Amino acid sequence: MKAIRMIDVSIVTGAVLGFGGVLLAYLGNPANSGICVSCFMENIAGALQLHDNVRMSYLRPELMGFVLGSFLIAFGTGRFRVRGGSSPVLRFFVGFFIIVGCAVFIGCPIKMFLRLAAGDLTAVAATLGLIFGIWVGVRYIKEGFALGGVKEVPKIQGFLMPLLALVLLVFLFVHPSFIRLGQKGPAALHAPLLVSLFAGLVIGALAQRSGLCVTGAIRNFILAREKTLLNGLLTAFFVAVVFSLLLGQFNLGMNAQPASHLSHGWTFLAMAMVGLGSVLIDGCPFRQLIKAGQGDVDAGMASLGMLMGGALVFLWFLGSTSAGPTFQGKVGVLTGLIFSVAAAIAFRKRARRSP
Amino acid sequence: MDWLDRLSVAAIAGLALITISMLTNHEMHKKRQDDPASAGKEAGRAYSLQVEADKKLYQQVAAFREQGRYADAMAKLEDMIERYPDKSLSYVYLGQVLLKQGKLGAAIHNYRRAVEMDSDYVDKRTPRFMGDAIKTVVEEGREKFAREKALRPKDKDVQRALKDVYYLQRRLAGGCE
Repeated sequence: MKAIRMIDVSIVTGAVLGFGGVLLAYLGNPANSGICVSCFMENIAGALQLHDNVRMSYLRPELMGFVLGSFLIAFGTGRFRVRGGSSPVLRFFVGFFIIVGCAVFIGCPIKMFLRLAAGDLTAVAATLGLIFGIWVGVRYIKEGFALGGVKEVPKIQGFLMPLLALVLLVFLFVHPSFIRLGQKGPAALHAPLLVSLFAGLVIGALAQRSGLCVTGAIRNFILAREKTLLNGLLTAFFVAVVFSLLLGQFNLGMNAQPASHLSHGWTFLAMAMVGLGSVLIDGCPFRQLIKAGQGDVDAGMASLGMLMGGALVFLWFLGSTSAGPTFQGKVGVLTGLIFSVAAAIAFRKRARRSP
Repeated sequence: MDWLDRLSVAAIAGLALITISMLTNHEMHKKRQDDPASAGKEAGRAYSLQVEADKKLYQQVAAFREQGRYADAMAKLEDMIERYPDKSLSYVYLGQVLLKQGKLGAAIHNYRRAVEMDSDYVDKRTPRFMGDAIKTVVEEGREKFAREKALRPKDKDVQRALKDVYYLQRRLAGGCE
């Protein structure tokens, strides 16, 4: 009975995520970017003037909604458990590299599915790369990888990320002079503020209840043939396909796809790094925000690493344009892979061989 | 809560109140000083002035183009590119002149360079927007070079032209860039 209920929550979350992702793009967010954690992190970094690209500077209420929705539901249902202390600095850097990988592909794992659902075939290489990266991560888990060391920490720490989300939300409404909101480019493209916030809160709350995570869904299936989250993910995909078709946002093909490129090899590698990194820190970028909202201090550190990634992607040109990945982006992906594999082997607990 | 806790909470509340009042006062003062509407108008005026200055700068090129003196226009543009390498408008004019001469591939390549330098050409929210004109040229190029690719699949020039076409198609499609 509990399993059926979990599947239901997962499927409902998937359906809302898929619908929300398409609807927000229809209502004004950039094409195929109704929900994109990495793009939105870059936007928020810009709004805080952590980078200088005004076209990518906006406080996306969806992300604040994810954290606050997760926080409110967790707090209200007694699931707000403040834990941390499991390699926080390592998680910070993995969070950073995950955003670099996403920037080279131009999208987080959720956007990857939204792009696929909108007919963008350049996301196929990304999907294969992500699955490959997760598969590699699962191999490390099976061979003894675990970050471990999670413990209860003072409760105040669990409130910091929701508080940060709340402060950013206040900044969005009040617009103080040190917050920069771009008036052209992707920054100027956004759905009505309250609709975005509402969507973020609902998706955040549902994701907290279901534990929906793009990489977690695939990891659980590869690791134990467990399909609960995968059902949610597939629901998100099919719902997004249906609504993309209904709302006239479906365009099948490789060319003329918004914010995409044809460097499939680098796309594959970038998303492999995202998949591997996400397995190491137990969750895709979206899941890190949800966990940060429910009191996971380590996920909060990963989220801050993602924010730093969102800034440095522009300052160091670590991403891609429609022409393909930059040289720095390629180096970033390779460095991220090296870092992730090194972390994986450093944290392996090897079985002792008998003499 | 002992006396130290109570004192700390009171101190936090007091400090928070002072900080919020200071911030509110500062923001209100700043907003009065630079009213967003007038700041927006100011930015718009600066943009219009820039567009006007560019028009003057490229006056001769535009005249050559209208008179059909394409060689003169090209020579002038080469000089402009050397003198003002950051001016993306040179590549727009270059594209237009090449288009008049029937050199579709080269024209598209120069439009691409212009868009790479300044995204405003494909951003509907800016006065520089010329997405519709670019789209027409790109559509023409896509048909032409797809046909040519079928005939000469290994031709490097055709491949490059198609790459430029696809690049511009992606930029015209929008998204997070």
